[in-house]
Amino acid sequence: MSRNRGGKHGRNKPTVGEKGRQVVESIDENNPVIKMFLAFRQELDDKHDRFEKIVKHSRDITIENKRIIFLLHSTNTDVESKKQVVLEEANTRLKQIFEKNFRAVALLLKGFDSYQYQKAYTSGLQEFIEALVFYQYLTSGSFEKWDNINKSFQYMDNGDSISLLFPQIDYILGIADFTGELMRRCINDLGVGNTNDCFKTCNMVKHIYSGFLGIINPGNKELGRKTYVIKQSLAKMELVCYNIQIRGSEIPKHMLLNVIESTDVNTEDDEGYYH
Amino acid sequence: MSSDNIIEHIFTPFQESINSEQDVREEIRNIMKDIEKSLREIVTTLQIIHRTLNGEEISAACFTARSLFNVVQKGFEKLDSVIPEGQYYRYNDHWRYATQRLCFLAALVVFLEKGFLVDKVTTAQILGLHEKSRLHLDLEDYLMGLLNLATELARFAVNSVTFGDYSRPLQISKFVAELNAGFRLLNLKNDSLRKRFDALKYDVKKIEEVVYDLTLRGLVPNSGGGEAVE
Repeated sequence: MSRNRGGKHGRNKPTVGEKGRQVVESIDENNPVIKMFLAFRQELDDKHDRFEKIVKHSRDITIENKRIIFLLHSTNTDVESKKQVVLEEANTRLKQIFEKNFRAVALLLKGFDSYQYQKAYTSGLQEFIEALVFYQYLTSGSFEKWDNINKSFQYMDNGDSISLLFPQIDYILGIADFTGELMRRCINDLGVGNTNDCFKTCNMVKHIYSGFLGIINPGNKELGRKTYVIKQSLAKMELVCYNIQIRGSEIPKHMLLNVIESTDVNTEDDEGYYH
Repeated sequence: MSSDNIIEHIFTPFQESINSEQDVREEIRNIMKDIEKSLREIVTTLQIIHRTLNGEEISAACFTARSLFNVVQKGFEKLDSVIPEGQYYRYNDHWRYATQRLCFLAALVVFLEKGFLVDKVTTAQILGLHEKSRLHLDLEDYLMGLLNLATELARFAVNSVTFGDYSRPLQISKFVAELNAGFRLLNLKNDSLRKRFDALKYDVKKIEEVVYDLTLRGLVPNSGGGEAVE
């Protein structure tokens, strides 16, 4: 490229950015600023890679848990042995997620601040809690506390003990999602005539909803949103129970579902009329 | 655990954990008030570079800024004692913005005093985030500070010329060009850092236009009109 020499003739006029360009051309890898930024690039790349790996695990976990939940809904049968088979399969698959998938995440986070990567796997974690709690409810009618479940997130790696960060908020939000599955369960129970179970599941969700109503956590919009969704689910379930009670003697059970689905469910706080 | 004691076993412990978290946040907020006060004072002090050419006044401002940084260091010392272990990123939203601003100001002071780019370790030392037990200087906060510095220097270049300092813009041009070259090496994701980096080219353009104006009129020191500078 031509360099300007003695511009007395005025022919070689300077251009905007020329000085900048000259600087850029003189910059090489020995420039201290460049060296600094090459190291920064490495650090940022490492962080992004780690984040993406964890996101991938989280997605796999979410997909698997959705399948497990679907599987658990199929226990809505009178055949006890078939139900047991399904529950055992679910149990095995849930253990796998603990021992393989979440362990992989914990290993990726070994030596790092887990809170920095928490957003990467929070949805997988919540989905897992939803499936786990659903399974526990179907087997025993209740489910484990947070610190019990947290114990299963402790792992050993070559003599070091590592643990996966399991924030209580993810546990609580997972339980919120679980009530949605209970609502489906309740309606399905009605469909196959298990009206007793309808009352049980409705009762469980009532207690859970009371718990959510009592939480004071300013600044967490997700909690508020999920509480609202629980309210809607619960309203549907309470209507189911109401109809079983009131109409159960009038019409055959298998027709109850039709009756309920044809009634609008009022979930607005203010007005008292159906629309 | 039956449905009857759900509240006791699940929601009470949860509310307790929320309450303790809120307590920690309250303590952090109080400490940040002091740090932010010093931050504002440093900003005000250093604005003098846009109002005067006087080297002594600028040195004095840097000196004042340095002593204000000492106050900031004490603030971060207090903050360090309040953060639980391994939870920097749980609470860092409270001090992220202030840290970015402080990095910018530290880099500005070093530029004014010595003319080169302050490295991350030194910046951490100036702020009081070096070798702390719970706190550290986050790389992205430091980088954000550098981007803010470029914008400030673009303005400084313009005002230097207004006050008759025709060599300062050249110094700034080289400095920001190197900064730009460095940033272009990074693989940035589509986050706030990336968006802020996108604005860097406007700072570069503004500075180059100032240099062009000087060069065109032969006002660049140590060269005639249009001659390339070594």
